[in-house]
Amino acid sequence: MALGLSTSLGAAVAQADTLRVGMSGGYYPFTYVEHDDLKGFEVDLMNAIGEITGDDVKFVTASFSGLAGMLDSNRIDTIANQITITPERQEKYLFSTPYVYDGAQVVVRKGNDAIKGVEDLKDKTVAVNLGSNYEQLLNELPYADQINIKTYDSNIEQDVALGRADAFVMDRVSASQVIKDKPLPLQLAGQPFSKIENAYPFRDDKAGKALRDRVNDALAKLRDSGKLGDLSNKWFGSDITQP
Amino acid sequence: MHALDFDYMLGLVPILLSYLPLTLEMAAAGMACALVLACLLAVIRVTRVPGLNAFALLFISFFRGTPLLVQLFLFYYGLPQVLTFLVAINGITATILGLTLHFSAYMAESIRAAIVGIDRSQTEAALSIGMTRAQLMRRIVLPQATRVATPTLMNYFIDMIKSTSLAFTLGVTELMGATQKEAAGSFLYFEAFLVVAVIYWIVVEALSWIQKWLEKRLNRAYQR
Repeated sequence: MALGLSTSLGAAVAQADTLRVGMSGGYYPFTYVEHDDLKGFEVDLMNAIGEITGDDVKFVTASFSGLAGMLDSNRIDTIANQITITPERQEKYLFSTPYVYDGAQVVVRKGNDAIKGVEDLKDKTVAVNLGSNYEQLLNELPYADQINIKTYDSNIEQDVALGRADAFVMDRVSASQVIKDKPLPLQLAGQPFSKIENAYPFRDDKAGKALRDRVNDALAKLRDSGKLGDLSNKWFGSDITQP
Repeated sequence: MHALDFDYMLGLVPILLSYLPLTLEMAAAGMACALVLACLLAVIRVTRVPGLNAFALLFISFFRGTPLLVQLFLFYYGLPQVLTFLVAINGITATILGLTLHFSAYMAESIRAAIVGIDRSQTEAALSIGMTRAQLMRRIVLPQATRVATPTLMNYFIDMIKSTSLAFTLGVTELMGATQKEAAGSFLYFEAFLVVAVIYWIVVEALSWIQKWLEKRLNRAYQR
């Protein structure tokens, strides 16, 4: 027990220079793995932030549904996984300034032209990721009770491609990227239906606040120097970091 | 329907194999700890130690009665919110702990059954020629009980190896977690999950051979 206590205290002190960043490793092209290499926009951006703050960035991958628990239980310091700012989350976490501005997008199987956007989701089965805010966005629609929302831990793209679900909802940027780069028969359905802003959540305590301020400074520097836009162009072919 | 991407599958094999040691280590550590705990629980149940017996019953009832995934979440995410020092437990330790507690509950019952299954007349005979209780256990009951319990215990070990695939929910990238992330990068789900299925299968098949050999050895005394 004494050993356990001393290591946990040691971790608390070391936290000032080790930034433990949680991500799923399963959200192309933000965070994914190819030939055992963790890659993506989130990885590049967090490394760039670490270079400025001087923090030693350590990536921790876990199922998306496990990430919030890891943040709450002090096993990671923030999450870099396209976390959308919502009022509920703001009550619990401190958020950095947004670094991605995006929209929620409906995606269907290729050739399914019956669904032209979010207004056509009535009586349809719609897949969303567990713990993502898209489920909530769907629930806020006036006809929410007529949508059959199916929650997944992973692989929603595959279930729509297989025709088990009629559509899935994710952010426009990754949806377009998946369709462009990957061999799944999918297509975008209509325009994005809700604005979303992505940022890093931190624990709402003194250490979390200090860390948040440090990351915000670095983000501002990256934005001013044009590096943030460059990273976006590298991964998405467009600048999604501007409001 | 697209053709299987064999090059991708071949390229994936060495990458995924590099995560196999962690999977096997977690299972082996879980099995070793679970065996010790299960023997302890079984002895408590057989000898009905007052107080401890009730505890053993409650323990077995809880850990058999709830899913392993629930237990893992409970220990890894839940408990540290109540007892903050428990955050020092990392994902690997939490997985081994979860496997130990979960499977020892099952294994205790099969060990108990194996002990109880030894004919009472042997116990009476051993005591009548002046053996102590400890000698009786070590020389007469346990060797026979081991033989009876081995097949089911090996089954639990196989189950345990496969259950390590839950560890990715605790942030441990083991065999299954590595596969999920690779599949998320390539979107070649069928290829990726097929490769990992074959890897698990080969490992379990190899264990089945070991099990056969072990059973043969333990059966030597019974061959005419």
